[in-house]
Amino acid sequence: MNRLDRTLASLQHNKSKALVAYLVAGDPDLKTTIELMHGFVEAGVDIIELGIPFSDPIAEGVTIQDAHDRALKKGTTFLKALQLLKEFRSTDKDTPIILMGYSNTFMANHKVLESPQAKNIDGLIIVDLPGEISHKDLGIKNDQLHSITLMSPTTKATRKKAICRNASGFIYYINVRGVTGHSTLNFKEMANNIKEIKKSSNLPVFSGFGIKTKEDALKASASADGVVIGSHLVQMIEACSNQNNYKKIYNYLRAIAKAIK
Amino acid sequence: MNIKELPNAEGFFGAYGGKFVPETLMKALAELEEQYNKLKQNTAFQKQIDKDYADFVGRPSPLYFAERLTKKYKGPKIWLKREDLNHTGAHKINNTIGQIILAKKMGKKRIIAETGAGQHGVATATVAARLGLECHIYMGAEDVERQSLNVYRIKLLGASVHPVKSGTATLKDALNEAIRDWVTNVEDTYYIIGSVTGPHPYPMIVRDFNAVVGRELQEQSRKQFGKLPSAIVACVGGGSNAMGAFYPFLSNKRVDLYGIEADGRKREKAKHSATLTKGTPGILHGALSYLIQDSKGQVLPTHSISAGLDYPGVGPEHSYLKDIGRVKYFPVNDESVLEAFHEVSRLEGIIPALETAHAFAALPKIAKLYSTKDNIVVNVSGRGDKDIATVAKVEGLTLE
Ligand SMILES: Cc1ncc(COP(=O)(O)O)c(C=O)c1O
Repeated sequence: MNRLDRTLASLQHNKSKALVAYLVAGDPDLKTTIELMHGFVEAGVDIIELGIPFSDPIAEGVTIQDAHDRALKKGTTFLKALQLLKEFRSTDKDTPIILMGYSNTFMANHKVLESPQAKNIDGLIIVDLPGEISHKDLGIKNDQLHSITLMSPTTKATRKKAICRNASGFIYYINVRGVTGHSTLNFKEMANNIKEIKKSSNLPVFSGFGIKTKEDALKASASADGVVIGSHLVQMIEACSNQNNYKKIYNYLRAIAKAIK
Repeated sequence: MNIKELPNAEGFFGAYGGKFVPETLMKALAELEEQYNKLKQNTAFQKQIDKDYADFVGRPSPLYFAERLTKKYKGPKIWLKREDLNHTGAHKINNTIGQIILAKKMGKKRIIAETGAGQHGVATATVAARLGLECHIYMGAEDVERQSLNVYRIKLLGASVHPVKSGTATLKDALNEAIRDWVTNVEDTYYIIGSVTGPHPYPMIVRDFNAVVGRELQEQSRKQFGKLPSAIVACVGGGSNAMGAFYPFLSNKRVDLYGIEADGRKREKAKHSATLTKGTPGILHGALSYLIQDSKGQVLPTHSISAGLDYPGVGPEHSYLKDIGRVKYFPVNDESVLEAFHEVSRLEGIIPALETAHAFAALPKIAKLYSTKDNIVVNVSGRGDKDIATVAKVEGLTLE
């Protein structure tokens, strides 16, 4: 049982939908990332997906690509991101944190992920890892971390079962055929696919990619157990970073939390 | 286990390979594998490819005795496998001829590809034109500049060129962008990867289509010098021309195989493209393989005078062949490559591609190891027309 299990259990108990927020560690800088994370939680975010910047993020649209670039230029590393989490945990002991990134950075940093420092995180989403395997297959020896699997509109029925068997924590349903930030959402297809996934798994299914407005979030949460907001938040963070005032973002999240809960 | 039966069902060559891609692409890869395995057994498909190789590409490419190079090195007889004489000027078309038939069979309407030197872009645009398929080529903005001749050729063939400005604006970034396009348009788009890189089944497919080079070489060497070569030398970027030439010889240990990598400038040690010699295992573009990266898992910028070798990754089968010691890999620097470029032009009347010139630049080191009884073959992966402006610029000349 880690923070993610507890949060998911309590959401289920309260019959409440989850609001998941994505941001990139080190964008615009690590200090602001902590500030934003606390702000997100206060605004009603249940789970934080912390993006680990990578030089070659093949599943990201331009918005998140640029954020990865900015974070790397600021000197963000995996180690520094974990140190940041330590600081975050000094005042927030409950919010689940999931690291989201690419196989190569996780593999290269497996030692940290096996160290006591990893206690501050609750799971991994490895975007370019097939759903049948997990971080352990990359040589990361840590049983405490959930390996969150992704499914997409193109996932074949024959693989769905195997992926569900391997899934842990929640299942991440990718709403679009496309990279992050892609914005043509098909809510009917989403509802059908999520229903299908739920036949093979008791885990909550969250809907992510392309969710932008409160209306999107509401429609998605009609079929999903939670929604993930990514590119749109990253875009807002970039826009707000000029004035170093992120109130607009917290208001936006608060409105969504209120709508879907 | 027979070395030639790899990859295994999961797409691994030993520890290397696999399918490390966003979930959205998994279905497309499975369909491709299924279709390819079906077609591989199909004689009509093989016949069609053989016919295209003969009538459109101009195969078999000759095995040519390089008399003056042989004289110069005073040792083994040096032979050239003339992939530079193929239609479009490089080995790349061996692969695109095969993959476009797969695309057609799978009912795909739209073709995408990445390119570095532009040779794969030209080879893809060529086969797409022939079948009347929409074609988009991703190319690093820096490469668009240094290979402008090929950019124009691609456009003449009716394809669109998309300059990629992200990251280092070279081949790796073109691959990133092509993969993003594929994720977005996966239902109607076929991605023709240009080397033995990427997720399974691509390394296998691209190798198989290029293996026509090695098969011809087996036959030609028996006919022309009565035995198999003592050594085969090929340049390695992603590794498709090398893999194609090596593959039929893998289980014949008497044939030494040399893969030559790009070491970049002599004086700038930090930037090179010698993935197998200086890299460490990592995951990029869908496969686990050697990779030029820092200790924190970020891919590092590379350099090579040749755009086609300027890539931080390498095909997973090469990583395996390096680890088991079946192929020897070593790097040569830009300076020695330019020297070889001139030497081959003047001695043999053949202007090689800068990529190919890497293989020639390794001859001083390799020829020493063999006697006059030996025959060594250099795989001339492409011709140098595309590189004339680059070489002129390095030498302080500007061409109109
Ligand atoms: C003539 C030529 N040789 C070699 C290469 C390198 O590719 P590979 O290592 O896949 O043969 C290229 C790539 O553009 C090329 O154009």
